[in-house]
Amino acid sequence: MTAVQDMDEIRRIEAEAAPTRFARGWHCLGLIRDFADGKPHSIQAFGQKLVVFQGEDGSVNVLDAYCRHMGGDLSQGTVKGNEVACPFHDWRWGGDGKCKQIPYSRRVPLRARTAAWPTLQQDGMLFVWNDPEGNPPPADVTIPRIEGATSDEWTDWRWYYTVVNTNCREVIDNIVDMAHFFYVHGSFPTYFKTIFEGPVATQIQNGVGREDVRPPAKEGQPKLIGNTSVAAYHGPSFMIDDLTYHYDNMDLESVLINCHYPIDANSFVLQYGVIVKRSEHLPGDAAEKLAIGTGDFIRQGFEQDVEIWKNKTRIDNPLLCEEDGPVYQLRRWYEQFYVDVADVTPEMVERFEYEMDTTKPNEAWRREVEENLARRAAAEDTPAAWAAGQPV
Amino acid sequence: MAVRPDNRLLDAPMRPVRCRRCSAQVQVRKSSWQQTSVQWDADAVAACVERRSAQPGSGPNSNFFENCSELRASIRGAAVEGLLPVPDAES
Repeated sequence: MTAVQDMDEIRRIEAEAAPTRFARGWHCLGLIRDFADGKPHSIQAFGQKLVVFQGEDGSVNVLDAYCRHMGGDLSQGTVKGNEVACPFHDWRWGGDGKCKQIPYSRRVPLRARTAAWPTLQQDGMLFVWNDPEGNPPPADVTIPRIEGATSDEWTDWRWYYTVVNTNCREVIDNIVDMAHFFYVHGSFPTYFKTIFEGPVATQIQNGVGREDVRPPAKEGQPKLIGNTSVAAYHGPSFMIDDLTYHYDNMDLESVLINCHYPIDANSFVLQYGVIVKRSEHLPGDAAEKLAIGTGDFIRQGFEQDVEIWKNKTRIDNPLLCEEDGPVYQLRRWYEQFYVDVADVTPEMVERFEYEMDTTKPNEAWRREVEENLARRAAAEDTPAAWAAGQPV
Repeated sequence: MAVRPDNRLLDAPMRPVRCRRCSAQVQVRKSSWQQTSVQWDADAVAACVERRSAQPGSGPNSNFFENCSELRASIRGAAVEGLLPVPDAES
């Protein structure tokens, strides 16, 4: 047998180590209700250990977990009033990072201050601000309000956590990975658009479910016709998906959250949550059940993603075909969160659009081009032929 | 962590297209009849009339500008006119 010599150069996968710096921006640590038990909570995030605790005044605070006295772990301590008390020597730390009291000492030493992380409590979620440069969050860098989250017309959050042992860029890449929506998530977008602009990456998707994946509706059950989705990352880690399912007899409104925070360079906590709007078709428990069902469906999707991520390799030079989405442009957008504010370049934040629209078939385009060519040919030929005195 | 160039742009770069209404110039690439990429810069954003008059919609993600219909039509026109190449892929 003769070996065929392939003279083409082999494509090499290239990948630098994942950055040890963590993205600047608001990161959701989870639901406030999960931190509101009067106990300190230990969180591994941004390469360090944090303590999250709710004081008696209701505010949820995030501090570096290690006591500046002798290094005790505050997350193993207790909440006393509005302070967290170290289990080692009972030093009391306030949410502002200052040591408020040392029960066995007459006074607190100078500069008894630890790292306090700016927090945002909004719509049932706790956010923490990470900035490697140490600056506070600018007033215009915010997370939009989610009206349904605080409304009785909507269900409560159905929330999921999972640890993924890879760098969080993988979850970001998914925004533009159109083909994976079909292969991994069983959705069939007929219209797909992504817009990167400033700190926001928006994805608009209209689709129909793959009938080979989702079973057809049973007799008497509403039939799913399709969905419209507007999903946006507000900063590096928090995506809100305004998602409406269209049934033959009703629209079902839901909001999905897809967010994460890095544990370290090679692992992150993936979280997702869902609320569903109640309606005449979905009174009382039916909406709750649907939120659970939707959440569990999303969980299956993420589990499929996680399975891919667990086994794949990091790749800085993906080889893309024309049908793939704007992966490089997305990464360029994402890079803005990993450099100092002064080093954010226009190309990271300038508006970029990518659109796919299959609602207009190719034939229509081709017909239009042909008509156009014919029209142009007629316009050009006529005077030329006339000038030459030839019959047209 | 420098971001690599898109391998697809080496074969077919983005090309300038002007909006027939406001003359904003953007960089455009069509990889098929159904796919369009548009790179704006600050001047184009400032020039776009629809963009300036856009009102935010409803919902948590409403604060974005989806589309300029004039620019879209201009890009369409450029593609149909043959000024903006479209690979004639069968699909």
